[in-house]
Amino acid sequence: MRRGLVAAFREIDATCDAIEALKKANFKQFTVYTPAPRHEIEHALNAPPSKVRLFTLIGGMLGLTFGYWVAIWTSEYWPLVVGGKAIASWIPYTIIGFEMMVLVGALSTVAGMFINSRIPKITMTVGADTRFTSSDYGIFVEAPPERLKEAEEMLRGFGAVEVRGER
Amino acid sequence: MATVVEPLRPNIASADVQLPAVRDYEQVDREISGTLRPSAGWFAALGLAVALFLWGAGTWIYQVYWGLGNAGYNPPVMWGVYIITFVFWVGIGHAGTLISAILYLFRAGFRTTIYRCAEAMTVFAVMTAGLFPIIHIGRPWKFFWLVPYPNWRLLWPNFKSPLVWDVFAILTYLTVSSTFLYVGLIPDIAVLRDRETNPVRKRILAVLSLGWRNSEPEWRHFTRMYLFLAAFSTPLVLSVHSVVSFDFAMALSPGWHATIFPPYFVAGAIFSGIGMVFTIIIPIRKFFRLQHYVTINHLDAAAKLCLFTSMVVGCAYMIEFWVAWYSGNPYEQDYFWNRVFGQWWWAAWIMLTCNVIFPLSLFSQKLRRNPAWLFILSIFINLGMWYERFVIIVPSLSHEFEPWQWSGYLPSWVDTSILVGSFGWFFMWFLLFIKQLPVVAIAEVKEIVPPRLRSHRRGHGIDTAGHHEPYGTETPGEFD
Repeated sequence: MRRGLVAAFREIDATCDAIEALKKANFKQFTVYTPAPRHEIEHALNAPPSKVRLFTLIGGMLGLTFGYWVAIWTSEYWPLVVGGKAIASWIPYTIIGFEMMVLVGALSTVAGMFINSRIPKITMTVGADTRFTSSDYGIFVEAPPERLKEAEEMLRGFGAVEVRGER
Repeated sequence: MATVVEPLRPNIASADVQLPAVRDYEQVDREISGTLRPSAGWFAALGLAVALFLWGAGTWIYQVYWGLGNAGYNPPVMWGVYIITFVFWVGIGHAGTLISAILYLFRAGFRTTIYRCAEAMTVFAVMTAGLFPIIHIGRPWKFFWLVPYPNWRLLWPNFKSPLVWDVFAILTYLTVSSTFLYVGLIPDIAVLRDRETNPVRKRILAVLSLGWRNSEPEWRHFTRMYLFLAAFSTPLVLSVHSVVSFDFAMALSPGWHATIFPPYFVAGAIFSGIGMVFTIIIPIRKFFRLQHYVTINHLDAAAKLCLFTSMVVGCAYMIEFWVAWYSGNPYEQDYFWNRVFGQWWWAAWIMLTCNVIFPLSLFSQKLRRNPAWLFILSIFINLGMWYERFVIIVPSLSHEFEPWQWSGYLPSWVDTSILVGSFGWFFMWFLLFIKQLPVVAIAEVKEIVPPRLRSHRRGHGIDTAGHHEPYGTETPGEFD
């Protein structure tokens, strides 16, 4: 059962201090909401780097290979030698390879973002609030019921304008 | 009618504050989502655009019925207004991705408020450009033969042909730039979704926003994804117009067979795109009252980029003439003489005046910071860049190696109408876009607005309520 508290903050430094205090007090599960990406929050959370780059690398390499392969394979399939020149001419095929690298790489990057950030979401998200898309920073803390009181006091102490239970 | 007293809104950035009149996140949401209410002027503009589009579409039906001969083609000039306009619109489509991707990688701050507009312009311009190869072919219902797939004997299109490269480049560019536009919009659509009261619109926005919640993990992956998309788009922008230039450079006609074509085309594309960005953003900032978002500083910086690309283009023109002289090839020399002082002098001088001479005015800071002048200049740039493509295409075909091949060219009412219709099509999409989705990126503007801090850490012009200190008449800078 997910059980937790949603706290809304007006100020970014209050949010960062609350994040650091929560980490120090050994609250393991919490999600931060921010109206715009901010480095301060990134530093406070110290989260691991995004895995999207792996999708980019693999997608780009697959696309590049496919682009060269499709052009070379179709040339080899109808091997008409003209003027003694090579049947597969890799120099012009670089254009096909490059375009396919960009296309597949870009689309797999977007797919990587979708997979890693779990979108599209079709259900309501527990702990999210419409004010977090406007101007407030939010922290959704998940904890066992006996620790919720402690978390609430901590969040209010750092200047949360609203703390409410969410389940 | 009651007059509303507007607060004083300075639009000149200082060293540490990019948007001095934008004070907090709520203001960003309120003012940018406020631009989405349709107005009578917008309906009038949309009506005009749709009328022009219908005129062009009707003419196209006429052309399909009566044949391409109505389009002003006469051998040997078989590439005319349609190919010129294709290259023109592809070129327009370059500034958007330049501004959103290349300037993003270069951390150029002035892109933030204009990039959404430029990116939408890119997508619609490439959509417009994509129509022209189809209009240009004699049997447009066979357009899908352009798509690379094998026939029943597994014979594929020739991957050594520039026309096949073109299909790959343009389709990749259209896909990647529209993806880039859409994913950039996701957080902004989430803002609109949470402010929307109409349940139908709210549901549509909820679907389009894909359930975006502004959580930190979402942002972490989003910013990475954005960076890598920008890194892919950067070489893509440069490659697309290079590939378009190969359509000409691979041919042996005088004036076309030149290795300078790819950089020359890319510089021209970026130049024309920035011209179109000015044509679009200056009326938008005025009618949407966004002067304090798209500030004079942003226009000034974009004008410097415009001046720079104009000089690159001017340099390319001169190198073309120089290479013709230096080659010692009489056909090439005669062709260039004919282009500038012979048969096509008027087109060449429209091009040189609009693209090289008028933009030199941007050396004046006063003119760079004058939106009215930038708008007028941008119209000349659009005209000049259309004529650049005219000057590249028509004189080469009409003045090849043998005198018996020489001829003239005059567009007919059919191709002119379709050209006008393409502007209608482009502006129809653009006008529909600007009233449905935010024309300034809400999330990215929030990134440059200083966030609220607690009172004991005040300073840097931020008052105790977390707002910027108000600006008064004594604030240095210009106001409008």
